[in-house]
Amino acid sequence: MSSQSITASILRARLLVGVLALVAVPAAAELKGLSEGEMARIDGAGLGLVFENFKFSHGTDAPDANGEQARIFRISGIKSTDGRDVDITVNHLYISGAGSNYGENLSPVNLGRLTNPWEIDVVDGNTIGVPDKAVLQFSAPSQVAAAEGYDCFGASASAGTGTCSSRPATADYIGERADIGIQMNVAVGDDRSANINIHAKSAVIDGSYLRLWGDDNRRQMVGQFKLNFYSPEVSINACAQDGSSCGSRIILSNFALELALGNELQPMLFDVDGSGNFVVEIAAIRQPTSGEIGADGLRSSSNAESWDFYNSYYTNPDYRSNLSIGNFSVADRDFGSARVQGMLIQHLNIQTKDLSQ
Amino acid sequence: MTHRAGIAGFGLVVAFLATSSSPVLAELASLGDDALSDVSGQGGIYLSGDVSINEMGGPVENYHFGRCDDATRKCGARLAWRLKETGGWMVLDDIRGNFSFEGLTLRVRHVDSGFGGDGELFNRDVLELGLPNTVRFNDVHFKIAASNTARPTDPGFLQTDIFTVEMRGEVVMEGNLLVFPTGNP
Repeated sequence: MSSQSITASILRARLLVGVLALVAVPAAAELKGLSEGEMARIDGAGLGLVFENFKFSHGTDAPDANGEQARIFRISGIKSTDGRDVDITVNHLYISGAGSNYGENLSPVNLGRLTNPWEIDVVDGNTIGVPDKAVLQFSAPSQVAAAEGYDCFGASASAGTGTCSSRPATADYIGERADIGIQMNVAVGDDRSANINIHAKSAVIDGSYLRLWGDDNRRQMVGQFKLNFYSPEVSINACAQDGSSCGSRIILSNFALELALGNELQPMLFDVDGSGNFVVEIAAIRQPTSGEIGADGLRSSSNAESWDFYNSYYTNPDYRSNLSIGNFSVADRDFGSARVQGMLIQHLNIQTKDLSQ
Repeated sequence: MTHRAGIAGFGLVVAFLATSSSPVLAELASLGDDALSDVSGQGGIYLSGDVSINEMGGPVENYHFGRCDDATRKCGARLAWRLKETGGWMVLDDIRGNFSFEGLTLRVRHVDSGFGGDGELFNRDVLELGLPNTVRFNDVHFKIAASNTARPTDPGFLQTDIFTVEMRGEVVMEGNLLVFPTGNP
């Protein structure tokens, strides 16, 4: 009896497998399984963004005979310190491919690379020094090892010359470095004389990111902002209001800005105060308690953990901002190079103020 | 006895499944993987739009809101968000105007070439959002501000307008935005 029941249940199990196989076969024929390699690439953790053949342009047209303007792009509502209205009329704002001749010949450009795109991602804070937090990150293409990257300034840089991932334009590829620029008329009160133009050629912002997360103790949004901006030529000039005659061009060649606002130890804090003013603060690093760091400043006479903390804070290059200009020139005069390096923000507090109140 | 009945029962079920599925297989010929791989998502979406936000001032009309022709009143939508539990509010205020575009496209595209050699390495599908070349703005306004209360009608309301942006005319916006998942475990 018992052997019969075993046989029966084996038979039943085989039959069941047979039924399952019959049911499952049509489905297996239509869907194809993913390999381990394919599975590892897909986790849906982040969203990659690439702009292909991108071109942007907007501005303000001169008034026609009836005083009508076809296009207007204006930023207003700002007040000067003496209470006059400041009105910025943007004559032209553009993002274009390389060789735009200061925005005159716009062409398309790619922004971000398929293999290193712009990203919106929720990052595990433990991997970036923000313990036990999910961090929202908006990032530009990351910088890469110098062996495989491209020189950040060179218009004809080849692979293995620098740390930028975005490539310059070549004869048969539009590249990933954009010409960007803004031409604007800044009016203070009735004075519309200031016409300022800023252009950056072949600009790269690789390695820039904005990270946002919440601070439990302060119950506040905090963040970290890194802006890398490289351009072989940033130029500034001023023109007559109708744009006909322009003054000498101020040229900053090989311009590199690496700005670090906030870090994991001193995040940027965003708030609006009781009178309705926007406040951005970078908190000061905590002071060591008495005796925590020895009088001679050596590790042997200090609390080792605290000493390591401050040593890491003062030596970490990621916390520091740099600005370098290869050559500064006005018309045919060269002023040489300028460099601000290793700037560490100890404490920063920026607050908007309404002058009309 | 009961076991035999059980086995017979399963036999019937199998037979029933076999007979019920065979007519379906006879009428539809299944596509092979090769044939399926030739079928690409030809279908996509082509959108033209005309969006107006609060052109006339919105549904609420009181001492503070709802008249675009009265400079002392607010006109337009307001979006306020808080950055700190007990803090003030960041505001996107006075949102109004009209924008229209023709030819925004949406489709799935397989990228395996181009992009200076990146396409071949990438070899995957992306969601392609084709930008409409030009977007026509008709008196679009918005204002960035900071306020101590969520609504202007709340007691003790104070607001600092940081700046106002005004746009009109055709904005050139060409190209495609490609969206795809990235691996970052």
